[in-house]
Formats: sequence, structure tokens, C-alpha cells
Amino acid sequence: MSAAPGTANAPLLELEDVSFRYPDGSTGLHGCSLGIARGSRNALIGANGSGKTTLFQHCNALLRPASGQLRYAGAPLDYSRAGLRTLRSKVGMVFQNPDRQLFSASVREDVSFGPLNLGLDEATVAARVEAALQAVGMADLAHKPVQNLSFGQKKRVCIAGVLAMEPELLVLDEPMAGLDQAMQEELLAVLESLHQRGMTLLLATHDINFAYRWADRIHLMAAGRCTASFAAPQLAAHEAQLAALGLRLPAVIGLQRLLQQHGLLGDTRHLPSCTALLTELQQGPLPETPRHAAPLAKTAEQE
Amino acid sequence: MLIEQSAYANRWRGVAPAAKGLFALGGLVAAFIVTHRPAAGLGIAALLATVTLGGARVAPGLYLRVAAPALFFLAISALSLAVSVAPEAQGGLGLHASPDGQALAAGVAGRSLAGLAALLFLVLTTPLTDLIALLRRLRTPEVLLDIMVLCYRTLFVFSGAVQDMRTAQAARLGYGSRRQTLRSLGGMAANLTVQIWQRAQALHLAALARNNDGPLRFLTTPHPHARRDIALAGSGATALVMLAWAARMVTP
Repeated sequence: MSAAPGTANAPLLELEDVSFRYPDGSTGLHGCSLGIARGSRNALIGANGSGKTTLFQHCNALLRPASGQLRYAGAPLDYSRAGLRTLRSKVGMVFQNPDRQLFSASVREDVSFGPLNLGLDEATVAARVEAALQAVGMADLAHKPVQNLSFGQKKRVCIAGVLAMEPELLVLDEPMAGLDQAMQEELLAVLESLHQRGMTLLLATHDINFAYRWADRIHLMAAGRCTASFAAPQLAAHEAQLAALGLRLPAVIGLQRLLQQHGLLGDTRHLPSCTALLTELQQGPLPETPRHAAPLAKTAEQE
Repeated sequence: MLIEQSAYANRWRGVAPAAKGLFALGGLVAAFIVTHRPAAGLGIAALLATVTLGGARVAPGLYLRVAAPALFFLAISALSLAVSVAPEAQGGLGLHASPDGQALAAGVAGRSLAGLAALLFLVLTTPLTDLIALLRRLRTPEVLLDIMVLCYRTLFVFSGAVQDMRTAQAARLGYGSRRQTLRSLGGMAANLTVQIWQRAQALHLAALARNNDGPLRFLTTPHPHARRDIALAGSGATALVMLAWAARMVTP
């Protein structure tokens, strides 16, 4: 984590017992409590309709809780015009469907929309637009009309549009949805560079393997309730809560356990992905005499 | 979509929109100067078309396809002006072509062709986003510009939605018979209405999330050679107007 010293433990955004009910009577959130640490990477996991988008819209004050409280940097959210302006300049929101977020048919114009709303002068806005387009790797396509871009490129324009506002917390609603593997990798690289710059990230996902690999903290949601919040390496201890969401533990956890049982992996440190596990197996010193090496080798031969 | 394609792909895409607007305005003024002089009107139209095809390198086929609907309506209007239906001496109705009517039709056609060529020059060389930016600089009311921006963007979103829906309906035999076609079109219209409403709601939220509290503001693209472009286009426009004036003087 690249959090500034001294502020690592202070939650940047905090939800305390937040409830929300939609005008049609359906429950959006039910007593949700959640903390987002400054500079951390957070994954919010929940089934469709579990309230992830509703929760995100509370972060940006697009929705106001019926009860409970949200705090940003320790202070309760101010829902006045000026308060909203300040909050929305600090909390950037990237929606799931890019076609519902892009206003202008020109990439550069659309990215300039947010910073101009902040009341910045044109020279500053132009510089921010360039920097944001560079950050998402879209500088070469700045002159292209939006309708000629691919889905992944539109998504990156959406992120650039929010980055140009230089938020402290970036909230992304299912950013990987609809992206192919290559685009997902590109987007991940963008997120990684933002995290390196100290930006706090919160994203919604259905992919538990990705969340385990990427996030510092994982938050679980079910039926409008925040059911658990923990550091990613502790995921194995929340198997039951995951099962309640219809999800299983990432395969790498089972594999790591099995290898440890067979004495092939001595170290118990956090290995978030199969790639990390393989690297560990290849590079790390193996325990002296693996107890069950022979049967395992035999199995491999049989296969 | 053809206009869109040409506006982004032509050779003069980077030329300042103000310059292209000025030249098109010159063309329009010239078209009005040569009213009732069909030959001069045709000349101006030919000149403007040559500039569009030769200068901006717009493909001739595309130019004709874009112009076709306007030419079709012009032909119908000119025909109805030139030919009148009147009762015959021996009873019944007959078609009559009066010299006055023909002259009027030719005059209108000449002027319209020149005007059409001027507008085609502008729209085939300038993307709408540039035109909107130009209108903003010319202090067009914000409300009108916001509507233009949203309509333009929504056009593509909805053409995409319509295509998807049509494909989905066709895949389930939605257009198998006339009856089914009617049913499918009705369903699509209903679905699209709901989508428009949802989309408007979503765009409103997206605008709020990016701190919007009123007019939609965007950064304009800089055009480094704007002064030079405008000077050149100004001379071109003046030349067109003078040419039209000279043609008006020499032709009866």
C-alpha cells in the first residue's frame, strides 16, 4: 500500500449503518457499515441486485441515506450545494455502461466536461485532459468520435473523464464487465498506475479470483446488507459468507492448502494468484523431504 | 452516417471550423445574389462542388449519395413549378408548361443547387462537434447547444440500440411476415420509449456525478492555423460573392 504515513488507518470514506429505500418501496441498503482506508485497493463483491450500485451512488452523494451516516475524511457528508461540489470533486464515479456516461461525441470534449464543471480555467483543463488521456492510454485517439470507439476504449474515456477531476477516491462500478482478457489487463495496468500515485480505489466485481489477486480489502454484500469486510489475505476465513453469495474460495487457496499439507510449500505467506504460487514453487527453497512427493509425482505421470 | 464519415475523414478536417463556416456563408450569399440567373447559380454550385471534391477530397460517390435526397426533392419542386395542371379547352385536365413557370423553376433550381453545394461543403468537411463549438463561440444560447450536443450523442446510442433490438427480433423470426413485422416494430417503439427515459435518467446522474449544475461545458479543440485558414477562406468567400455579383451584372 502506498498510503501516506500517519493517515493509513484513518478511513477516507466511512458508511455507518446506512439504509436506503427506493421510491417504489424496494430496499436498496439495509444498515450497511463499511470503511475505505486511504490509498487502499478495495473490491466490493455481491450478486446482481445486492445493492452495489446503490452503495456507490451514496459514496458520490447521488443518493442520500434514509438513515445512518456517511463520513468523508472524518467529517459527515455535507449535502448542501457547495458540500456536494467539494465531495464530487474528491470522489470520482465511473459507471458500468459507458454509453450512459459519455455526453459529447468527441473524446477530448467529454473528458473536459468534469474539470470545466469544477470551474477551472481552460489552460488547466486542457493540461488535465491531456494528462488523463495519457494515463488511460487514449492520447492518440483524442480526436476520434466516441461512436467509433470500441467498448473498452469508451470505458477508458469514462475513466479519463473522472481522472481529469483528480479525485482522491475512484469508484468503479463493475469496470471489467464486457471487456475481453486483453482489455482487462490494460485496465488493470491503468488501475495499478493510479494506485501507485496514491489514489484510493473501490470497485465492484463478481470475480472472486480477481478480487483476491488485486485488492487489499474485500467487502461482501448480500441483499442490501454489508455482510463482511476484511483484508484480502483473510478471505479463506470467510468461506461461509462467500458461500451465501453463491461463490467459492479462489482455487489458489485450495491449491496452496493442499501443497502445504503435502509439505511442498512451507511458507504460509499470502499468495494471491496461481502465477504467484508457481513463482513461489519455482524460486522458493522447497522443504527438505516432501512427505508425499512420490504419490503426487505418480499422479502427474499418470495424467 | 455518410456525412459523419466524410466530416471526419476529409483532407480539411483540421482546418478551423470558423474558416469553413465563412466560406460556406460566402457560398450561400453568392447563391442568393444569383437569384433568377440559373446559369450563374449552376456555375456557383459547380465551383463549390469542385472545391469540396478537389480541395477537401470528399469522394464523389459519397457526395452524390448525400446530395441525392435533396436533389430528388428539388427535382419534384422544380417540376411542379414548371408544369401546371389546368382545364383543357375541349374539357378534362391537361399539363401545361408556361415559359414563366419554366423560368421560375430554373431560377429556383439554380439558387437551390448553389445553396445546397455551400451547405454540403460545410457539413461534409466539418464534424458536428466542431460546428457546435463554433456556434458556442458565436454566442448561440446555451440551451440550444445543450440540446444539440445531447441529440447528436443520443443519435448514435439509439441507432445502436435500434440495431441490437432489430437483430434480436429478427433472430426470433420477428420479421417473418407482415403481421409479425408490424408487431415487432410496435414492440421496438415501446421498448425504445422506456430506454429513452432510462437513458435520460442515467445521463442526468452521470452529469451530477461529474459536478454539473447547469449548462454542459466542453473544451474546444485548438486550431493552430485558425488565422491563416480564416484569411484564406475569407478571400475565397469574397471571390465567390464578387463572381456572383459579376454574373448577375452580365446576365440578363
